[in-house]
Amino acid sequence: MSLDHIVSVTIGGLTVGMIYALIALGYTMVYGVLKFINFAHGEVFTIGGYVAAFTLLGLGVNDDMSPLVLAGCVVLALLAAVLVPMAIGFLIERIAYRPLRGRSRIIPLLSAIGVSIVMQQLIILVFGPAPVSMPSLAVGSASFVVFGIRIRVLALVIIAVSSALMLGLTYLVKSTRIGKAMRATSQDMEAAEMMGIDTNKTIAFTFVVGSALAGIGGFLVVMYYGSLKYDAGFLYGLKAFTSAVLGGIGNIPGAVVGAIVLGMTETYGVSLDLGFMAWFVVAGLILGLYVQMVRVPRRRLQHIADDRRTPAYEKSITDVYRLTPYYGFKTLLAERTDALLSVSAAHAVRLMFGNLFLAVVAAVMFANASVRIDTRWQPVIAFVVLMVILMFRPSGILGEAITEKV
Amino acid sequence: MDAILELQGVSMSFGGLKAVDNLSFTINENEIVSIIGPNGSGKTTTFNVISGLYEPDSGEILLKGESVAGLRPDAVHDKGISRTFQSLRLFSNMSVLDNVLVGMHSVTDSGVLASMLRLPKVRREEQAMRERAQEILEMFPGRFSGPRQQQPAFSLSYANRRRLEIARALASDPTLLMLDEPVAGMNPMESHEVMEQIKILRDKGYTIVMIEHDMHVVEGVSDRVIAMDHGVKIAEGTYHEVANDPQVVEAYLGKRAAEATA
Repeated sequence: MSLDHIVSVTIGGLTVGMIYALIALGYTMVYGVLKFINFAHGEVFTIGGYVAAFTLLGLGVNDDMSPLVLAGCVVLALLAAVLVPMAIGFLIERIAYRPLRGRSRIIPLLSAIGVSIVMQQLIILVFGPAPVSMPSLAVGSASFVVFGIRIRVLALVIIAVSSALMLGLTYLVKSTRIGKAMRATSQDMEAAEMMGIDTNKTIAFTFVVGSALAGIGGFLVVMYYGSLKYDAGFLYGLKAFTSAVLGGIGNIPGAVVGAIVLGMTETYGVSLDLGFMAWFVVAGLILGLYVQMVRVPRRRLQHIADDRRTPAYEKSITDVYRLTPYYGFKTLLAERTDALLSVSAAHAVRLMFGNLFLAVVAAVMFANASVRIDTRWQPVIAFVVLMVILMFRPSGILGEAITEKV
Repeated sequence: MDAILELQGVSMSFGGLKAVDNLSFTINENEIVSIIGPNGSGKTTTFNVISGLYEPDSGEILLKGESVAGLRPDAVHDKGISRTFQSLRLFSNMSVLDNVLVGMHSVTDSGVLASMLRLPKVRREEQAMRERAQEILEMFPGRFSGPRQQQPAFSLSYANRRRLEIARALASDPTLLMLDEPVAGMNPMESHEVMEQIKILRDKGYTIVMIEHDMHVVEGVSDRVIAMDHGVKIAEGTYHEVANDPQVVEAYLGKRAAEATA
C-alpha cells in the first residue's frame, strides 16, 4: 500500500462521494420539507445523464471540433441535463405527490415507487433499452501526473463543481428569501402558510432544485464513466438515499458528509488488500478491550458501596486479569460476581468470545494479506457501513433535522 | 370609523359539531376588540376561519370590504391579516431575526436568481428588511437586543417566545392583527407589560382583535368585548356591559350563579 495508491484511491472515493452527495441532497431536502422519501429521485438522475449524453451525441461532438465549439456543446448538454430534470421533478410533485399530501405517510411512498417504475419504462420508451454511450472525448479521459500520481482532470472537475453547488445550496437555504421560506415550511407548514408563505410554491421549488442537482449528477456520471443504463438510477438512488440517512436525513450538510463517508468506504473497501484492513480490526479489538477493562468497570464502580471501594479493589476489577480464562472460569463459578459487579457470567463469556472472534478475523485477514474484496461486493460494503453506523447512532452522523418542539 | 373586518353569518362545523354558528361582528379601524368565552366556545375556530385555515361552510368574511373567505392562508396573509397562535408556533430552529424576516415574506419579492447573484436591488431590500426587523424587535425593549437576535427561537424564555410571535406577526405591517391568548401562561407582571405594549400598538394605528382569558388584560385594553358560547355570539359591548350580561355570567359560572347575580 503505497502513498500514491492511497492518494488516487482517496480522489476516486471523493469523486464518487460527491456524485452521491448531489443526488442525496434531493432526498434530504424533500424529506426535510415533507417528511417523505421521494423514491423516484434516482430516475431523475438517470434522465439527467441520458439527456446530456443524447444532446452531445445529437450535436455530433468529436475531438476534431474547435475547443470553443466543443465547450459550447458541453454547456448545452449541461443546460439540457438541468432543465429537463427540473421540469420532470416539478411534474412528479404536481401529479403524483401534491394530490396525496396530508394523507397517511405510506400513500405518497407507494406513489413514489410507482413513479420510479413508470420513469424507468419511460426512459426505455424514449431512449431505448440499450445503455447510452458517450462519444469518447479527449477531454473526458484527460489526466495529468503530479508526484508520480495520475489524476483524471474530470475527477477534479466533479469535486470542484459539486463543492461549488453545495456551497451555493447552503447559501440559498440559509440566506435567501426562498430559503427562509423552505426552512419555515419544513418546521411548521401550517404556521408558514399563515405567515404568508405559499407552501405549494415552496415545495415545488424544493423538488425543482433537488432535481437540478440530480440532473447535474447524471451529467457528471455519464461524462466520467462514459455510459449509463436505464436502471442506473436505482442503485445510485439507493446509495444516495443511504448517504442521506447516514448523515442524518433532512440535514443538508449531513447528506454531503454521509455521501463522502459512503463513497470513501466503498472505494477503499475494494481497493485495499485484507492485510491493510486487518489493522482496522486490530484497532477495533484494542478499543473494545480498553472499554471492557477500564471504562465499563469504572462506570459500574459507582454502584458499589463506598467502604468497599479501596484503591486495591478498584485496581483488581479494572485489571487485565478480568480477561484471562481463569477469570472467566471463576466467574462461571460465581465466586467473584461482586468484582464483575452487574456484569453477568453470560455477559463476560460473550465478551470473551467477541474478543476471540475479532482476533481470529484479524488473523485470517493477515494470513490472506494480499487478497482484495471483489468490486461486486461494493454495495454490500455500503450496506454494512450503514448498518454499523446506525446501530451506534440511529439519527445519523450529523443527526436528523428534528424540530425542537416547545 | 371604517370597518376593517366584517363577519357576516359565518358558520363552520366539524362533522355534527357546530363550532361557529352564524357569527357576525365588525372590527373597526384602530380598535382593540377582545373575544372572550369559555373553552370550546369557538374562539380559536373563528380565528382559524378568518386566517384561511378552514373555509367557512357559509357566510362572508370581508377585509376592508373585500372578501377573504375561502382564500388560502398565505393569500389571506397577503391581504393583510396576521396572527399569533395560542400554542406557540415559532420556527424554533431559526434565529430570532429570521423568524421576523419570515414574517415579512409577503412584503418582499426578491426572486431566486436575483438573490443568488446578490443584485444591488436585493441587497437594498435585504438591508431595508433588516432595519425594519430591528425596529420591530426594539418595540420590546431589552428583550431581543444584540446577540440574542442570532439565537435560535427555542432558546428563548417562554414569555420572550410569546413576544417574538407578536413581533413576527407585526413584521408584515398587517391591516388586522389577531392575537390568540397573548398573555397565556405569563405571570401578572409580564402580562401587564404585554398589555401596555398592545396599547402602544393601538396608538401606532394597528387594529387588533384578540382572544384572551385574563380578564384583567381584557378590561385594561379592550375598546369592545365580544362574548361567545357554543359557537354563538352571546354578548357584545364595553367590558362592563359584557361582564354583567346574565348570559355571559351563565356561560362562565352556570345557571344558578346567573340567577343569584340577577
